Amino acid sequence: MYYVADVKESECAKYNCKQCVLFCPEPNTLMYNSEKHVAWVNYSRCKGCAVCVYVCSDLLKRNCIEMVMMTTGD
Amino acid sequence: MGLEYVKISPGFEKYMPKDYVDLVKYGQFGRQIDVQQIDQIKELVEEHPMCAGCYMAYFVRIFYASLPKPEDTIVLGTAGCARLALSQAAVPFIYGNYGDTNAVASGLKRALNIRFPDKVKDVVVMAGDGGLMDIGFGMTMHSWFRRENFTTIMVDNEVYGNTGGQESGMSPKGVQLKMAPKGKKFDKINAVELAKIAGCVYVAKLAPTNPKRIAKTIKRAILAAREIGPTFIHIYTSCNIEYSIPTERVLADAKEREKNDFGFYEWMTDEAKQYIEEQEKKMAETKA
Ligand SMILES: Cc1ncc(C[n+]2csc(CCOP(=O)(O)OP(=O)(O)O)c2C)c(N)n1
Ligand code: SF4
Ligand code: SF4
Ligand code: SF4
Ligand SMILES: [Mg+2]
Repeated sequence: MYYVADVKESECAKYNCKQCVLFCPEPNTLMYNSEKHVAWVNYSRCKGCAVCVYVCSDLLKRNCIEMVMMTTGD
Repeated sequence: MGLEYVKISPGFEKYMPKDYVDLVKYGQFGRQIDVQQIDQIKELVEEHPMCAGCYMAYFVRIFYASLPKPEDTIVLGTAGCARLALSQAAVPFIYGNYGDTNAVASGLKRALNIRFPDKVKDVVVMAGDGGLMDIGFGMTMHSWFRRENFTTIMVDNEVYGNTGGQESGMSPKGVQLKMAPKGKKFDKINAVELAKIAGCVYVAKLAPTNPKRIAKTIKRAILAAREIGPTFIHIYTSCNIEYSIPTERVLADAKEREKNDFGFYEWMTDEAKQYIEEQEKKMAETKA
């Protein structure tokens, strides 16, 4: 099991935002789909730091990212 | 390396690792990217073993996205945390003995000038507070006294992070660390003023709160080092492990430090200013 960030797509899609993507410490991990206007996480590269949650929830008050437990293969 | 060197020879694409093909197809080689578009590219730095939530790792990420000419850049590092990521990037990386970055970079830059007299080759040192202001102090200073044409970036986490928490000259006065249990007795070294006095032509100090500003600062420091003289960036990059910062608070911490003692500061000589303005104008024209 490991701890990763997960974007609530339908929530994130309400904003044309991308802010969390600019503050994730890891390369090519928190990505942005500019067609669907949603951020998405490459789970196998996410280290579970939750900086993105701070950006989305604390700074922007949008609450579109949550931390979840994953099992390998999920 | 040079642009021709990074490109894949015709017919060989199918034998190359996917990450490399992506780098050439969707990466930064041969073009300038806006750091705000970082999600649209294959980044130069790969997965690396720096800690979760490390804001030094974040800075390294933005650093690579900011390079004005990645295919013609060489990065030098030393013992310390940053090298764990610097060594995982598609930009040549040189790693010597602890603290010798600025001596090696001096020789390298001079050699590149002889070998490639009509090409721009950017040389950038990135090392820790211990590497540059303690153990490599003499070599850092002398590279500036000699006006060597390269950029020095100090990733200041105010501790020896990689070796478990000894105090450095850059640790704030009074701070208690695992291996400095009595609290530091001396002031934090004023690296910015030292850099100015020692001969740097562009000096900046900042906290990693604004990727656009980081990118602009890095580009300016690298441009001015090409022609004018040594340049120096002092960036606060917290160590969440040694300073016990919950990882989700590292950006909050950077913002706090920005308010207190890491407010954005930029200084340059008149000559550097003129050169940077000219170069920025040229870059804007080629983009348009
Ligand atoms: C000559 C030498 N002395 C000591 C060491 C052990 N050493 C490795 S990293 C380090 C300190 C790193 O501190 P800093 O430069 O601030 O980098 P950080 O890990 O904090 O980013 C030390 C003392 C070494 N590798 N070589
Ligand atoms: S910060 Fe929140 S709303 Fe903005 S892109 Fe990220 S997940 Fe979506
Ligand atoms: S938890 Fe950390 S590593 Fe994972 S996506 Fe969020 S900011 Fe990036
Ligand atoms: S020890 Fe500190 S500076 Fe080093 S990788 Fe971990 S958090 Fe970053
Ligand atoms: Mg350090």
